[in-house]
Amino acid sequence: MLTTYISSLMTVLQPLNLFMLFVCSMIGVVLGAIPGLSGGLGISLILPMTFALSADLSFCMLLGMYVGGISGSFIAAVLVGIPGSGASIATCYDGYPMTQKGKAAKALSIGITGSFLGTLVSVIVATLLSGAIADVALMLGPWEYFSLCFMAISLVVGLSRGSVYKGLLAAFMGVWLATVGADPVTNSMRFTFGNYNLFGGVPVVCMLLGTFALQMVATSYARGNMDMPEVNAGSLKGFGLTLRDFIVNAKTIIVSFLIGLWIGFLPGMGSGISNMVAYGQAKKMSKNPDEFGSGAEAGVWASEVANNASVGGAVIPLISLGIPGDGTCVLLLSAMTIHGLQPGPLFITQNTHLAYLILAAILVSAVLVFAAEILCKRWFPYLLKAPYHYLFSGILMVCFVGAFSSTTSMFSIYTMLFFGIIGVIMDIAEIPMSPLMLAYILGGNLETYFRRGVSYARGDMTSFFTRPVSCMFLLIGIYSLLSPLVKYLIRKYKTNPEKVV
Amino acid sequence: MKTFNKTYISGVICLMFAGWIIWQTGTIGERLVSNEPGPRLFPYISAIGIIVCSVLSMIFDGRKETAKRQYLTKDGWKRLGIMFAELIVFAIGIHLIGFLLTAIIMMMVLIMTLKEDKKIRLLFAISLSVGLSAIVYFSFTKVFVIPLPTGMLW
Repeated sequence: MLTTYISSLMTVLQPLNLFMLFVCSMIGVVLGAIPGLSGGLGISLILPMTFALSADLSFCMLLGMYVGGISGSFIAAVLVGIPGSGASIATCYDGYPMTQKGKAAKALSIGITGSFLGTLVSVIVATLLSGAIADVALMLGPWEYFSLCFMAISLVVGLSRGSVYKGLLAAFMGVWLATVGADPVTNSMRFTFGNYNLFGGVPVVCMLLGTFALQMVATSYARGNMDMPEVNAGSLKGFGLTLRDFIVNAKTIIVSFLIGLWIGFLPGMGSGISNMVAYGQAKKMSKNPDEFGSGAEAGVWASEVANNASVGGAVIPLISLGIPGDGTCVLLLSAMTIHGLQPGPLFITQNTHLAYLILAAILVSAVLVFAAEILCKRWFPYLLKAPYHYLFSGILMVCFVGAFSSTTSMFSIYTMLFFGIIGVIMDIAEIPMSPLMLAYILGGNLETYFRRGVSYARGDMTSFFTRPVSCMFLLIGIYSLLSPLVKYLIRKYKTNPEKVV
Repeated sequence: MKTFNKTYISGVICLMFAGWIIWQTGTIGERLVSNEPGPRLFPYISAIGIIVCSVLSMIFDGRKETAKRQYLTKDGWKRLGIMFAELIVFAIGIHLIGFLLTAIIMMMVLIMTLKEDKKIRLLFAISLSVGLSAIVYFSFTKVFVIPLPTGMLW
């Protein structure tokens, strides 16, 4: 393992790979820092550019964007009190009050160091664990894989904002979208209407660009919220952290790291949730919980360590099981399939070099981002002054190129526009997009494993429940879907026991 | 501005969509392999799932939905319409006159649309439109060797 890892690390350190990793990490930081944009958007924009590149270089670029995007999201949260993405919502609670008190330099240093520690240690854990988990996963059959996919989708539905019914509705739409094209078993054409562009299914890149980028730009412009408040940064010189800061906050850092790693590991849950949970836990553990919300350093540590620890956590199921740990990993999973790789438990065995390259690229990217952020900290306020009219125009142009180059056909551009409109309609109807995307990406596997499982069991569908591991995954998935209803009934029972039957 | 119950409207649209899926699924050719559920199973499951979730959403979420803040103002809807109209025109433009020329015009028009009341330096906007379009075009066609549309009118 060590020899392969070092070989992969050396590949990442080759001049071109390292240069592109650095460039994409920096673009990721910028996108992560600007509210409304994200590293995920960056991945969907550069994905079409990687078609003609080697898988090594492509994943260096994509992972740089991933790590940079999550790391950079604290910048706006600290400087203007608006999170760059969902990963840094909790950072706003104490990061911005610190800035208002003239401690912006220290808040930014905590964000930079917390992000670095979270990513670095979590990716080391991921490197050590992924192989072992993949070995266990190799003992599983189609029943267990079906149930695992079902559980991943259910967990995302259970956690999606708003109504669980709408989340589930989105998941069923995603499963239907995955059925478009040639049937994986009998090769029958489904919902293609004789259009050869649909024989291979709905183009995933067009769907991503339409629902991520187009929808975001169009609704931001329609809402007119494209101006940033003035930055009250004060002096941003100096590192601002001492060894004592690390010692005082050691418990918060360790607990937040473990929370971030675990939440990242769970399918579908990522940095957007881990930062909130870790913040809540840090507040509970604190001797002075009243200080939280008014500039407590522990609050910034908790949020930033946890959201970046989710990176390593999310990569573990991606590499070892082919299940994305968070929303951005859904994009990385689609990148794997676009590059002709087969995600799943065999991925590490069949693509050992690439699997460790992914982990090594995250590690190197974390170091590059840390060094660049420390050196460029004083210029962070300028990032937030980027004019949206230039930024959005460029993004839309790249979307058109990306969509066209995914299949070199005009059909892709029209598909992207169609999904842009669908994205807006779903936003209006408050139907969440993440369950749809995950169900679409995993839908093909879900169907193939189900049909394979039924076929192997000679038509017996109960085999999914009679096999213990499969049954366990199914029960977790079902519990995740039913838990809001159960909690509602318990709450209702507590308030009025006689009315609940 | 009159507000509609979004959950009821989206529920009805989803029910119609699920009905269409069921109708279309019936036309899929069945090539049965032994002990195998066949290609119609998952589309049917999706359609039934969409129906059940739409009905449950209308019952439980639709009732709760009050006159909350509207999604967009009247002006916002107008902007959204303009944005998508421009994007559709650009798509047709790429088809007719090719990527490079359309991209330059598209960048310029989008900058003018998105800037709203802000003052911009016209020369900078033109340079950016031409420069960025050219960089993207040559990166894709020469570096990544991915052909971009040249237009059917030329």
